Parts: sequence; structure tokens; C-alpha cells
Amino acid sequence: MWRRALASPAALLALLVLGFWVVTAITVPWWGLPDPTESVGRRFQPPGGAFPLGTDALGRCVLSRTLHGARLSLPLAFCVVVGAAALGVLLGAIAGFLGGAADWLLSRAADIALAFPPVLLALAVAATLGPGLLNAGLAMLAVWWPIYLRLMRAQVRGVMRMEHVQAAVTVGSTPAAILRRHVVPLCTTPILVALPLDLGQVILLGAGLSFVGLGAPPPAPEWGLMVAEGATTLHRWWLVAGPGVAILSVVLACTLLGDRLREQGRG
Amino acid sequence: MGSMTGLARRAALATLVALGLGGPALAQQAPATLVVARNMDVNSLDPHRGFCDTCQIVFDALYDTLVTIGPDNRTPVPRLATRWEASADLTRWTFHLDPRARFASGRAVEAADVAWSFRRLAATRASSSFLAGDIERIETPDAHTVTVHLKAANSEFIGIAAAPYMAVVDRVAAEAAGIRAEGEVAQDGGDRWFGENSAGSGPFTLARYRPNDELRLARNANYWRDAPAFAEVVIRQAAGAAVQGQLLASGGADIALQLDTETARALPRDRATVQVLPSPNFIYLAIAPGAPAAQGRFTPEVREAISLAVDRAAMIEFVLGGAGKPQASPIPNGFPGSAGLEVPGTDLARARQMLAAAGHGRGFDVDFTFPAINSYGADMSLVAQRLQQDLGRVGIRLRLQPATFPVWVQQMRAAQLPMTIGYYAPDYFGSAQYVNFFGIMEGTPWFTRAGGGNLPSIANGELRGLLTRALAAPEAEREAAFQAVARSMMGDRIILPLLSPDLVIAHRPGLQGVRYSTCCNLPLAEIRPR
Repeated sequence: MWRRALASPAALLALLVLGFWVVTAITVPWWGLPDPTESVGRRFQPPGGAFPLGTDALGRCVLSRTLHGARLSLPLAFCVVVGAAALGVLLGAIAGFLGGAADWLLSRAADIALAFPPVLLALAVAATLGPGLLNAGLAMLAVWWPIYLRLMRAQVRGVMRMEHVQAAVTVGSTPAAILRRHVVPLCTTPILVALPLDLGQVILLGAGLSFVGLGAPPPAPEWGLMVAEGATTLHRWWLVAGPGVAILSVVLACTLLGDRLREQGRG
Repeated sequence: MGSMTGLARRAALATLVALGLGGPALAQQAPATLVVARNMDVNSLDPHRGFCDTCQIVFDALYDTLVTIGPDNRTPVPRLATRWEASADLTRWTFHLDPRARFASGRAVEAADVAWSFRRLAATRASSSFLAGDIERIETPDAHTVTVHLKAANSEFIGIAAAPYMAVVDRVAAEAAGIRAEGEVAQDGGDRWFGENSAGSGPFTLARYRPNDELRLARNANYWRDAPAFAEVVIRQAAGAAVQGQLLASGGADIALQLDTETARALPRDRATVQVLPSPNFIYLAIAPGAPAAQGRFTPEVREAISLAVDRAAMIEFVLGGAGKPQASPIPNGFPGSAGLEVPGTDLARARQMLAAAGHGRGFDVDFTFPAINSYGADMSLVAQRLQQDLGRVGIRLRLQPATFPVWVQQMRAAQLPMTIGYYAPDYFGSAQYVNFFGIMEGTPWFTRAGGGNLPSIANGELRGLLTRALAAPEAEREAAFQAVARSMMGDRIILPLLSPDLVIAHRPGLQGVRYSTCCNLPLAEIRPR
């Protein structure tokens, strides 16, 4: 599926963009850029010369802050999506496989979480836990796990009706073996398709939480926080251009890749 | 590059205007109406309960005080009182009321109204009640004479009498509505009644107040002095400098008072006249040696090292774009006792040396919770980040924790914050308020907040005596006496003023009389078309 998906130029471009950001996140400390949290120039220097993306209110290099921002936004989003997928898949598999009271209980818990608009729920949880990157991650986890639970539960319920699974039940295979050998392998495709799509959405939501002061604390070079700091001086366009383009590129790349994978999955 | 930047600024504002964020140009539709764009912080329109910057503006417009502060922002000038005198020991102040003074109801302003109002201010036990806290008793020998007896000498009572919270209310109208000055004042319904009515002798009356929307004042038809030029004043809710600037640029407002210099610089010159003035407002770093989280680290030597590590000039440059002044002591520039004080300098080598001598050669980590707000044009987040850089250079590593205003206030009042930043604007023209608020002596808010309950040794033993002497000092010696107070507070190094932001007042070009007042913020009645 991945090979077929990458045959598309758009998906290849998306993968290159994501690859750039991943490499940046890992290697940027060795690029010799100015410290993203220290004043290194005059405040509000327009782009040019030593500062290709200008400086912010405290004279910090916007380019350095934007590139270092990948070290916060990407790992956070990755952890949230993987964590939510792991939790949702596990609980979804249990709900779908066991049915009955366990299914009812887990499904209703997911329904309650999904009844709230995602942004509102994330804001409420993050505000309750207090500002901070970890708390923002937990807030997003609270939003995303039910999505994967529903997805996995529906898959498991479908697969459970298949003949080879029924045969495994008949011959007396243990529930764990049935799940591991016959059910889960057939349910992973929609999950894998959803992952990149959700990665983009989580980055967007994480930036939103930081924008309203519930994410990374200052002086972290977090993209949402940088946009918030630049939003008060609209005529200093370069303050938001760097983090704005970063968010846009990652979210767009994730969406393109996710869409392509979904199309291939359907195909 | 400069012209390109200017073009970009105009383009940004033009885009906002085109987006229609400003709505209809209210100020242009009704020239008789003056529109002020503000983030309204009104907690009550009861003049003896409300306590906020917007309250100062509104109370000054609705109610008269005995005196007010003149355009030089220092000198008391007549308002309800045509003249006044103080006893030699400064404990008895006598005011002679203008017999022409009339409330909006048409009834003459009498000495009994003054006495009733001052008693009520003390009885409400609101944030502003401290202004009447030193009043022992009030005599009204005749309808136009009021004698205020104070518990102790207070040379600054005249400044207190000019504060809009010392509003003189029509006691007959108020009592008819069930408002009380004695007894069960807390349940007298003043918040509700004054939210819908006013009962003053000021140039305006309250027409309508819709919280988080607008506050509308109408010209007082019975005003006993020169009528204000505008028939109506609307204070329109506008959160944030960008929104206020846009409203001004689009004609949706005539005056914006809470702009930062960056926003002001972006305003088109044909749409706005901008005044940048020194202000008595200031941002300070506060250290709480007695807070449990301080772990006993903040000894006098460490506090001095912290002061030496702060680069105040760079802070003004980076946080305010240079539009501010350094301030030496917790008594702000322009107030009695502030003249000639030296602003503490920066000396990183000495700071490191002092920290090493105090056993902190490797520095230390400390939580730093601050209010995530913009205060008087200064972004507190930028102040905190700049401080983090400055103190980081001597090894003090601040863990920044932005908090909402209520959370920050609660933690600060409970002495839970080892270090924080705060801001202050005067409640009246006088220096004693700073000593009574920031002074590290038993009973003051900052003695508690600095952890004086856990660590009584931080108390400044000489401060109360110095204050008493300053308040009793004859006029010729007053400046020097308050200067001694200021120096003593500087020596504590618990409240370290960081910067005093310049005040940015922007208004449409066709107005005159728009000014900042140390007592009343923005005297609305003085504003008129050019």
C-alpha cells in the first residue's frame, strides 16, 4: 500500500516535507544557528542579512526558533497519535471482541468523550491540568483515543464475523490467540491510514493550545506560541510567517499522505 | 526599508478595516458622541465599591470629588470645594463647598452628602475603602463646610480627596433606593442600583451599562459648571491593543488608551494623533524570601545579586521598544520622594561573586509564575522571558509558568510564589500608598506576600517611622522625607521596579483636551472637538 501510495508525486512531495522536518528536528542543534531562546539581535529586525526570517520582540532569531520548534511540535504530535492509537486500538479490540458489558461500557465512555467538540474538550482538559507541554499532550490524548477505539471496534466486529475467525473459535483457540493471529492483523490498515491524517490534526491542535497559552511555556520555540507572540503585531509579518509556514507544511504533508494512503487502502 | 515597513503596517490595518472588524463608524455617524475603546475591567459601578482603571474614568465623569489634580498632575485644584485648609499637625482638613454645586437631581450638594459618602466608602470594606480608613470622624458645622479628622497626620489627604473613589453621592437619592452608609452596607444592593443609576454631581450621568459590551454616559443637564462638549460618551469594550488600534483607524472609536507603542506606530497618521507620555505606572520584580518554595535562598545578598543581574535598559528596549523609563524605587517617577534617586545598575561579575559567596556558585532553579497579560503596554510574558535571560547569566534559572490573572493573584496572595512580576498604577496622587502596599512591614499586602509570616526577619524596622515622619512633614521637608522612605524600601530589594512604561494615548485628530491624569486617568469632561 505504501509503495503504491508513494507512486503519486503529491505523496512523494509530502513525504519529502515530513522527512525534512524530521531530519531538522533531530539535527538542528548541530546546525550552528543562534540559541533560539536568547536575544541575539535588535528587536523586530526584518528578514535579511544574519537573520533570514528576522528577529522577534526579544531580538531572537525567528529562523532558529522555527527550526528548533520542530523538536517540540513533532515529537509531541507523534507521541499523542501513537499513544492514542495504542490505547484506542487496545480498548477497541477488547470492546469489539468481548462485546456485552465491556463493549457497552467502553463504547459509552468513548461516546461521552466524542460528544464534546474536540477543541473544546482539549481546552477544558488542558486548562484543568494547567499550562505545559505534557499537559497539552494529555489533553490531546483525551480527545483522540476514542476515535481509535471506535475505528478498531468496528473493524474487529466486522472481522469477527469472518469464517476463518469463526473456525478458530470453533476449534477452541484462546481469545488472545484469536485476537493476535486472526483479528488484529486484518484491522490495522484503517489505523495506519488514520495515523498521518491525525498527526497533522494533532500538530494543529497542539499549536492552538500553545496559541491560547495552554501549551508550551515561554520561551519555548513552539510554533503555536510563536504565532501567538507575533499575532499582536500584525504588521511584523515575519514573526508569524516562519511558524505559520512550518505548521502549514507539516499539516498539508500529513493530509496529502493520509489521503493518498486512504485512497490506496480503498483501492 | 523604512517605507516598506510603513506600507506593510498600513496594509495590515487596511486589511483589518476591510474585513469589517470595526463595524460601523460610530464616532463619524454621531459627532456629539465620543467613543472610547477600552478593555473594560469594571468590577462595580458603585463608586464606593468599584476599583479599576475604567472605574476611575467613569466615577470621575459621574461624581464630583472635593478637589481634583490639575493638568500638571501634581497640584490639587478646586472641584466641589472652593478652598481648603489643614491644621498645623495635618490631622484636621477643612473643606469649603461651592454653594453652586448641584446633583443631577437638582438638589444642592451639602456637607452631609460628603460625610455620608466618606462613611459609606469606609463601611463597604471594598478594595478602595483604605482611602477612608484613616478618617476618625467628620464634622459638618454648616451645609457648606466639612471638617475631616484623621487618626494621624497625613499630608497626602488632599491627594486622597481627589481620588474618584472618594466620590460624593446624593445621599437622598441613594437612601431612597435603599443604599446605606452604616449598618448592613454589604447587603444594600449598591452594586445593582449603581449599575443602572448614578447619583452624582459630575458632568455626566449613567445612561446604560452592559457588561462586556458598552458603558454609555449622557451629559448631565443640571451640571453646575461648564457643560461638557459631548452630549454622550460611550466606552466600548475592545480587548487588546490591536483591536483598539483598528477601531481608532477605522473611525469606530475616537480614543484608544491601552495601546502599546508598536500598535500606535502602525496607526495611519491622518487617522490618529498619538501622545507618548511618561507615566507613574510600573512593572516590578517581586521576591518572596519567606515563601516556602524559596527554600531560604533569598538572603539580602542574593536579592542584591538579582538586582545587579537585571539589565533595566535592555529590558525597556526589548519589552517596550524604548518607550519607557527606568524607575529606582517602588515610589514611581514624579511622585513625592522619587526625585534624584539612582536607578540600580547592572554588574554581572559582582552578582556572580555575591551568589558564590552565598553558596550558590552553581546557581539554582526557581519557579517563576507570572500573569499572562499585557499591562500598561508591557507584555508580561516578554518581561518574564527577558528576566529569564538576565538572571540566567548569573546562574539563576527561572522556570517560567504563565498563569491566568485570577490564578496568579490567588497564588501571590497566599505567599506561594518565590518570585514573580507584577504591575501597579496609582490609586491617588501620593506616595504613602506605595509604602502601605509594598513596604515590608507588618500589616501590608507585600509583607504577607513576601512570606513575612514565615520569615518575620524580613521586616523593615525603620519604615513605619519614616512613613509617619514623611506624612507629618511640612511641605518644604516632604520630598526629602519621602526620599528617605524610598531609599529604605530600595534597600529591602524585595520589590525591584523594572520599568515604567510610557503611556500611549491615541485619538482622532479633531479632538483636544485628551490627557492622562494621575488621579482620574482620563478626564472625559475636558475633551472637546478642536
